[in-house]
Amino acid sequence: MPKVFNWQIGRDMDYLYEGARPKKQFGMVMDLNKCIACQTCTIACKTTWTSGRGQEYQFWNNVESKPYGYYPLGWDVRILEKLGVQPIDAGPYQGKTIFEAAPEGERVLGYRPEDMDYTSPNIGEDDSTGGIINEGGAYLQMPHMQWMFYLPRICNHCTYPACLGACPRQSVYKRPEDGIVLIDQERCRGYRECVKGCPYKKPFFNALNRTSEKCVGCYPAVEAGQQTRCTIGCIGKIRLQGFINTPDQAREDNPLDYIVHIAKVARPLFPQLGLEPNVYYIPPMHVPSWFLKQMFGATVDQAVNVYRRAAEDKKLLGALMLFGATKEISHHYKVDGDTVTGYTEQGDEIIRVPMHEPIFTRAVFDEKLQAYRSNIT
Amino acid sequence: MRYTGMVSRAALAAALLLAGTGMAAADDHLLVQRIAAGTGPVLDPDAGLWQQATPLTVALQAQMIATPVNAEPAVSALTVRAVHDGLWLTFQLRWDDPTKSDTIDLDRFGDQAAVELPVKAYDANNPPNPMMGDADQPVTIMQWRAALQRDQEQGEPKLPDIYPNAHIDFYTGDLLKPEEARAYTGAVGLGNPVSRVGKSPVLDQMAAGFGSLTVKPQQRAGAKGVWADGHWTVVIARPMKTDGEFDPKLAPGDGSVAAFAVWEGGKDETGSRKAWSDWVPLSLEK
Repeated sequence: MPKVFNWQIGRDMDYLYEGARPKKQFGMVMDLNKCIACQTCTIACKTTWTSGRGQEYQFWNNVESKPYGYYPLGWDVRILEKLGVQPIDAGPYQGKTIFEAAPEGERVLGYRPEDMDYTSPNIGEDDSTGGIINEGGAYLQMPHMQWMFYLPRICNHCTYPACLGACPRQSVYKRPEDGIVLIDQERCRGYRECVKGCPYKKPFFNALNRTSEKCVGCYPAVEAGQQTRCTIGCIGKIRLQGFINTPDQAREDNPLDYIVHIAKVARPLFPQLGLEPNVYYIPPMHVPSWFLKQMFGATVDQAVNVYRRAAEDKKLLGALMLFGATKEISHHYKVDGDTVTGYTEQGDEIIRVPMHEPIFTRAVFDEKLQAYRSNIT
Repeated sequence: MRYTGMVSRAALAAALLLAGTGMAAADDHLLVQRIAAGTGPVLDPDAGLWQQATPLTVALQAQMIATPVNAEPAVSALTVRAVHDGLWLTFQLRWDDPTKSDTIDLDRFGDQAAVELPVKAYDANNPPNPMMGDADQPVTIMQWRAALQRDQEQGEPKLPDIYPNAHIDFYTGDLLKPEEARAYTGAVGLGNPVSRVGKSPVLDQMAAGFGSLTVKPQQRAGAKGVWADGHWTVVIARPMKTDGEFDPKLAPGDGSVAAFAVWEGGKDETGSRKAWSDWVPLSLEK
């Protein structure tokens, strides 16, 4: 198999094709500290893309609770179990990727979920770890012993997609212009090898069309310089979508590059699987480190620490202020004094966001009305 | 890469010889028997004339060259008969399959069978690769699909066919004009031939190497399959001579080869996970 360089695992790895990075790479950052699982993103996606026949069960965007929520059922624990225990330490990844662990006669290590695995898309919603009642009223303690968090997911538009590698007839392709991964609906023959191969389970089989379908990265919007529907619909402003470079090409004025490569506050999901996924997560601060490590890599604690001190890094704070601020993609940004400005690819200004909300202090006694004010906040 | 296959030149020479004489076929070659002119494609799997055609047992093996593979496919042999009327060539394929698999959902795959023919005149010294042909020597592959057969008999699949208790208020596309609704129909709207049945449950295709299988713009093949008592009987027919770039051109008296493949849907066989045969020499009776 050809060797390709995967910067997320810090080494060369086997892949089914020669490495060919796109001119630009679609990317997204999601702040897991801010997601409330309102599913507005899910519905924005659903109504835009998957209201057709055979797509009834499909959620190209979903939000699940962790550690006990899954869609489809057990997608992450099942592939991790198949991959087996692997060493996850700082430095180059010493374990196997799903390409390197492919069984004889297979293109990647994977499994095909069963139909029933998709029947409860919000299973495990809000389930937290541990017991409340059985463990003697732990709810009385601070901080809480129990934890959970929400994990919004779309296709990762991976640099080395397993869906693309798994398809024996090249029906899956990665666009050279923006790195978006698509399934050619004229060429697909419904073998479901992509459904089996993708560890994130983001290709879905349409049983009425008899082809597999997946998140299209809202490519018509992206082509027009706009962010995806799930991003602009997010009421919690937890997402920023744009383009990301490799670490050696990182541009300080690209908000995604700054967040991921320079501040290093966001991490890919299950980088050890070897796909170089391009959705990056700011890890939830309250979740134990041992859990975050298996999910976001060995050095995830550093990301949490950076996030805790985000207010000290004006450039980081500025990039975070762009979340949910525009429909358009901010290709460039600049922090000037107390304002962050976002720009299009051509350098046109699209947004100015104040870094601090103005605060007004009202006098206790209102001279005009000759009345005392009571604090009702 | 040039294919050096397992078809012995002696067997092919015998086939060519027999084609001219109308003699019964040897064990390792398929005699395409001449039937009355004007009969056309024999699209009845149980037609009486099949009783007169000489059967040939063709051994199938696991496809193990192109990943992914299924090392132990369910079907290890099929019985092939073939006839022609001077204009139409029809194959009858029969194999054991305890389960009829003609409904497709995430968990279920459909039964399929295929007949492959070289596009160019067969040259025993330079045979095409029986596994999808190659760039210099493309092949025609006629693939019959049980699911398309089911569609033809029972109509296109609907959600309740797969999920009997599902309820849908409406689909967005139903509220729109057809040209606007196309965006909501995916592969069906694009006319993907595996999505909906055309005139026939067989796909007339060409290939020039692994991963290149493509449905031809002109569909010339016809087919029909019947499942009964634990076996499928499928007939697949095509005109012997058509002008398509990737259509084979055959005439009475010709010798050529054919290869066969079977997918047992009940065992999740699909795509490259299949049982296939090497080239089988065949001779068209004069």
